[in-house]
Amino acid sequence: MSEATGQRSRKDLACTAAANAYQKQFGIDLKRRVVDEGEPFAIVQADTPHEIFHVMDIPIITNQWWSAYISAKQLSNQYFEVMARHGFPENSCKYCSLGLACTLANDPKSAPWGGLPKPTVLVARMTCDCIQHVFGQWAEALGSEFFPMEAPAWEHKDPRWFAHSRNDWQEIYDADRIALMVSEMRDLIALLENRTGRKFDEARLHHLMERINEQEGYIWEAAQAIGRARPCPVSIAEQMPNTMIPQWHRGSDWAVDHARRFRDEVMERIASGAGTAAHEKIRLMWIGAGVWHDPGFYQALEERLGAVFVWSMYMPFAGPQYIRELHGRPMDALASRICSMNEVLHLPPWMNGWMTSEAERCGIDACVVLLPPDNRLSQSGTKITAQSLEAAGVPVLSIDADMVDAKNWNHDRMVTLVADFLVARGLA
Amino acid sequence: MIASLGPDLPQDLLAATGVHAGLLPWDIDRETPAADRWLESKFPRWTYSVLQDWLDGRLDHLDAVVFSRADDGAQRLYYYISELRRLGEVGGPEPLIFDVAKIGRASSAQHMVASVRKLAERLGVGEIALERGIAETNVRRANATAAADAQPGRVCLIAGTPPPDRRLHGMVERAGWIAAGETLGDAWADPGPPVEEGTGDPFAALARQLHARRADVRAFFDRAQALEAQADECGALAAVLWFAEEDDARVWHLPAQRDVLARIDIPALILTRRDWRANDGVDAEIAAFLQGGAA
Repeated sequence: MSEATGQRSRKDLACTAAANAYQKQFGIDLKRRVVDEGEPFAIVQADTPHEIFHVMDIPIITNQWWSAYISAKQLSNQYFEVMARHGFPENSCKYCSLGLACTLANDPKSAPWGGLPKPTVLVARMTCDCIQHVFGQWAEALGSEFFPMEAPAWEHKDPRWFAHSRNDWQEIYDADRIALMVSEMRDLIALLENRTGRKFDEARLHHLMERINEQEGYIWEAAQAIGRARPCPVSIAEQMPNTMIPQWHRGSDWAVDHARRFRDEVMERIASGAGTAAHEKIRLMWIGAGVWHDPGFYQALEERLGAVFVWSMYMPFAGPQYIRELHGRPMDALASRICSMNEVLHLPPWMNGWMTSEAERCGIDACVVLLPPDNRLSQSGTKITAQSLEAAGVPVLSIDADMVDAKNWNHDRMVTLVADFLVARGLA
Repeated sequence: MIASLGPDLPQDLLAATGVHAGLLPWDIDRETPAADRWLESKFPRWTYSVLQDWLDGRLDHLDAVVFSRADDGAQRLYYYISELRRLGEVGGPEPLIFDVAKIGRASSAQHMVASVRKLAERLGVGEIALERGIAETNVRRANATAAADAQPGRVCLIAGTPPPDRRLHGMVERAGWIAAGETLGDAWADPGPPVEEGTGDPFAALARQLHARRADVRAFFDRAQALEAQADECGALAAVLWFAEEDDARVWHLPAQRDVLARIDIPALILTRRDWRANDGVDAEIAAFLQGGAA
């Protein structure tokens, strides 16, 4: 397998370094708690109710974060080879299974943190056929238990869901689907209380949900401002960490404060006319997970072509999918946040409806879509969305690459691909 | 008329409508230029054929198609077709989805009951009609079991991804063996074990059967153990474990299934990342395996 050819991204915001430093320290603290001190913890998918764990002060390791962590340490290829040695085909879903591969490798010398100890539970929503199999085997390998959550069918198909989801979540996400998830969350809480001795307090959840609303409100405010601003003050290379890192810690004092600080720095740059590129000419949209092995990719064409990646899903997602009017029912409000978190990003009409609207809001000139060849979930909805964007006058380039596997990625080749596309479509 | 697509569908309920035309067919060899526009590469080949048929108007004689949520190809196709209809890109029958919940918890079992009731209401099937549909389907189940005669000869079990048609079976048979193992169509048309009759709540009875079934990628069970039982049941002397390129679920059990076959001394030909059309030299590999090492 080829080596990663990624480049580091440039940082314009002081808060970006602060977020990264916090996350680094969090990683150290998390390792101390779960590895050194043997505290109960859980391995969870990103689209599960992390809020339950936060309320119960149970540390969580998010599968996607752990995958990105392994990838950043350039261990992906080594672990993919481990999977092949175990007899798994090479095309098995990499983003979902890197953590399992690390466990199966059973090599404390090379594994981050020496490998993960036995968690109390592993939790995943079954949004794709592969997930229950990956998590089932991972739980078995760790000697733990898998708590699957249903991803029920969604028949209320409103392409403008994002305009109503904050208030009318019961209607948008279907009352039956919300009720099912609430029931599952209560079962999960019972399991956690039973295994850890820690108690869940619904009043604490209510407070946490209010704090999350405040946090995501700052992010959403900044996202709105970025959409309006010319030039774009902050590339997605900095939008992502300043949104996602606080989101891993959502509702905590640090997360709320950081979101406010990020908003303020964005506003300051807009007020001063600062742009991420010296001469912004082309505003780009990025659809897909971040290319974690090459963050410098997003800024590579800023100076040469004035092409700026203005939009990725993470930051603007804060408004429609996180902020919830609680209506005195925090568990239901939380369920409405989680029960479609994946669907709205990967299925029509929600994905194309939202992204087309966002392209218009942000004055997008062209879009680049990541199409991971071996990841059904990440591919899902991209062609319909590309067609919707093209129909709305936004040229789209799809690139076959994986967010954690650097094998098919070459920085220079990918940058050239985007540049050629922009030239071919008359934008550069 | 209505048709259906996917695993774990309530066959008794569909039969009770009196207008169920069966599973939608597919032809995985056909060109699918219009479907290629909309479907990504991880969709299995049969979805391309179905969507192409839909786009070509070949399904216009149907009123509705019931999709299953227990298969990713089927459930995503439901959303895609729903959206293409909204956008005016396609007409044809109304897509419906049957929500399948397989987790072994009360909440999922209850959700399954609600799903059966919802689809029954949508299709206009009441309690009496469903009870009748269950009785009729149970007769069909019993007849199918009675008709399953064992043939003499060496049996090769085809397992892994259920193939789209019997072309792999034909390759096994041309090598002088008897082919066992379901195609995708067989698996999806199979109504499963009998549904309890006369319970007073046929919706719940049908939901219980569906919730407990181990017939799809969403079910929770030990697939290595199930393969061992299947090999034992059909008296397999060899096995072909064939996995389609797009299968990202069943492949997770390949190492365990390979190990169990080795343990019970059944030689296995393992074929991964294969083309649904079986045009990748698989015929020669099966012939060499069955006429060579396995023989």
